[in-house]
Amino acid sequence: MQSLVHVVLAGLSSGMFIWLVASGLTLIFGVLGVLNFAHGSFYMLGAYVCFSVARLLGPHFWLAVLVGPLVVAAIGYAMEHRFLRRVYQLALPYQLLLTFAFVLIFDNLVKLIWGAGSISPPPGFSGSILVLGRKFPLYSLFIIAVGPLVALGLWTLLDLTWVGRTVRAAASDREMASALGVRVPALFSRVFAFGAWLGALGGALAVPYVGLLTPGMGESIIIEAFMVAVIGGLGSLKGAFLAALVIGILSAFGTRYFPAFDMALAFVLMAAVLLWRPRGLFGAAA
Amino acid sequence: MTRALRLAAPLLVLAALCAVPLAGERFLTYLAIRVMILGVFASGYNLLLGQTGLLSFGHGAFYAAGAYGLGLFSLHVSAHPLLGLAVAVAAAALLALFVGFLCVRSSEVYFSMLTLAFGMLAFAVIWNAREVTGGDDGLVGVVRGKLSLLGLALPLGKESQLYYFVLALFALAVWVAHRIRSSPFGLVLAGMRENAVRAAFAGVPVRRYRLAVFVVSAAFAGLAGGLEVLLEGSARPFMSHWTHSAEPILVSLLGGLGSLAGPLAGSLLFVALREIVQRFTEHWMLAFGVILLLIIGLAREGVVGTLEQLLARRGAPEA
Amino acid sequence: MSEPILSTHRLTNWFGKVCTAEDLDLAFRPGELTSIIGPNGAGKSTLINLLTGHLPVQSGRIVFRGVEVTRLPIHARVRLGICRSFQVVNVFPQLSALDNVLIPALAAAGRTRRFLAPVSRERAARAEAEAVLASVGLSERRDTRAAALSHGDRHLLEVGVALAARPALLFLDEPTAGMNPVERARLLESVRGLAREGRTTFVVVEHDMDVVFSLSARVVVLNRGEVLCDGTPDVVRNDRKVREVYLGDEVIDLMPVAEGARP
Repeated sequence: MQSLVHVVLAGLSSGMFIWLVASGLTLIFGVLGVLNFAHGSFYMLGAYVCFSVARLLGPHFWLAVLVGPLVVAAIGYAMEHRFLRRVYQLALPYQLLLTFAFVLIFDNLVKLIWGAGSISPPPGFSGSILVLGRKFPLYSLFIIAVGPLVALGLWTLLDLTWVGRTVRAAASDREMASALGVRVPALFSRVFAFGAWLGALGGALAVPYVGLLTPGMGESIIIEAFMVAVIGGLGSLKGAFLAALVIGILSAFGTRYFPAFDMALAFVLMAAVLLWRPRGLFGAAA
Repeated sequence: MTRALRLAAPLLVLAALCAVPLAGERFLTYLAIRVMILGVFASGYNLLLGQTGLLSFGHGAFYAAGAYGLGLFSLHVSAHPLLGLAVAVAAAALLALFVGFLCVRSSEVYFSMLTLAFGMLAFAVIWNAREVTGGDDGLVGVVRGKLSLLGLALPLGKESQLYYFVLALFALAVWVAHRIRSSPFGLVLAGMRENAVRAAFAGVPVRRYRLAVFVVSAAFAGLAGGLEVLLEGSARPFMSHWTHSAEPILVSLLGGLGSLAGPLAGSLLFVALREIVQRFTEHWMLAFGVILLLIIGLAREGVVGTLEQLLARRGAPEA
Repeated sequence: MSEPILSTHRLTNWFGKVCTAEDLDLAFRPGELTSIIGPNGAGKSTLINLLTGHLPVQSGRIVFRGVEVTRLPIHARVRLGICRSFQVVNVFPQLSALDNVLIPALAAAGRTRRFLAPVSRERAARAEAEAVLASVGLSERRDTRAAALSHGDRHLLEVGVALAARPALLFLDEPTAGMNPVERARLLESVRGLAREGRTTFVVVEHDMDVVFSLSARVVVLNRGEVLCDGTPDVVRNDRKVREVYLGDEVIDLMPVAEGARP
């Protein structure tokens, strides 16, 4: 029983990182209609930049978590403004390939700047709490709390504020929103930057959790984020949150009990969901 | 392009290819084999992408299926290269039948995501199944058996000998791709790309045909994977990784999606560029990302496509 | 009365809370040219979508030539002989006009599985495609890409693609929209000619009353998913319910107005 609870908790916390990346991915897809391959790179950049900022400005982790993602958001803004904007009217393959080109660029820039090896940030959070008689890291509990907070924040932003309403309008009908005076291109850049910020936040928060920075960390999280986004239904934040929880817990079980096939479980789930609901759990109908 | 040129060009290319080993440069011969292998991979892939409009991010899995299929067959059963390649193609096609059945029910983005996930799943399986596949060390020690054909036992040990074997299969593969493209089936595939709904209303069983072209493109990938193992003597999990799956996409885009020559020209350019850039920096992929950006921004039709456009404009100035 | 070529039994469709087809019991007789008219939102396109397989049937049955086709996928229905054209041009943009009609012609001839022989050798299908292009007047444009055709030509191609599938039952969804009078006349002549040959049964959705009354033997009026009136053009023209529903619609100007019908 004790190990079960611990596995579930571990799953929840790892699921929250996937949720942070997937939330940005879903937001970008829902509003701009673009599937951003480079979102895992934003996660990775968030981690690396946060690490460097912490080293620069002294060991204030929370300051780094604040600054780091903002830097990445700026990078995201530039990427959309300069490049992505040009391919909206092109066919899907070109959009995907453009974002894929950025994956190559970002991933290799990281290798160039920080080196191809892995970096171990200094351990900072060692506190733990007893759960059913076994120690469980406090930081993980903190992460489990952050996830729903972000979800709540996004829901509030999108459903209850004027900004959110504008975003949702532009998402459902670009031309109409533009006719009503919304400066859609600028809005898109901002939404993209915000999505990048979310992904980078995930990366920044992951630094103490994962304990290791590698140039490959973007790759592994993007696959999971994609699967979560697809299972939840592309464009549905609610779906992404739920799917992240499920995938996180499934992966935790996989890692613990079937180490060779933890990815298989997620894939089987995705295939099964898409067979039942071709657009994902909460995806928009054709 | 006049008809005469159209017929002569492939023959000229074939003649040029036959002449490569005669130059005596082993490394050049090796590179040329790599170009042909990539050309086989990309030609088949372009039947799926350029002709039918389906973007698969997981074709590396079929390449790997072919590679490991031939490798395992060679190590445990027989090192006969043609038999091994037959196993490679069959393994890839069978896998694609199963995967494709699940994937073609979805369209557009969902299709791409499913294939991506499947490719990475295959990667994970290959990585983890150490006893069978050698894990991240890969499958090593695969020898090139003698080619027993019509009573003759042709050795393939030397690069130049393997070269002509690969050339023959490359020519065959490209010929098949050409015939498919210009066949009624090929026209129907183009219709499915242009307007899948209307194709259905024209009486085309869209899902079934998508599966068919998916399997065919996977067969090409399997052949290419098998050929690589014959060349290198080893199979690696990386073959199923999504960055490898991206290669035929990049290559097809580089050369041009709309023609048979596109993926071939793209393969040549890709290998050549890689060799050149790698002389200067180890960050070849970074350069490639930039090149990809440039292509998408400036020359979307690819090299061959842009050339065709220029020639068409020159030929009909009043148009 | 001869066996209907297609009949529906209590065909019903809901779009959320709106009923777009209500318990429809319709029958189309082979060789007869029927027009379907009705105000916007009457459910005309929905009906075609249901009958051709574009929309899944929620409740009710569709029987074509004695075969139950309610659950058949689109391409299977086309192979049986049910086809349609679209109101908004829905062709293969980057393919030539000839290739556009060649695809359905190949499918109708069962030749789409050939993958090793060149399509240039398919003489029968090509002849058929050329004939279809000629019937809609696009022979000279055979090598032009569909996207490069003029607006009117594209609409002609749209109907051509539907004709090339050699359907026994063909639904034309507002085929003359976007055509100039010359093109319209040409198309209507083709349709009349084909209808006279008797091989294809036409069902035409139209807004243009001239077309409707000059072309059809039978007119079905739909409103809000229900059949308001079903009969010869004269019967429909003088039906009070039909006039009520069309009150305020510009259509009223083309129909003889009885005394006191206008407020």
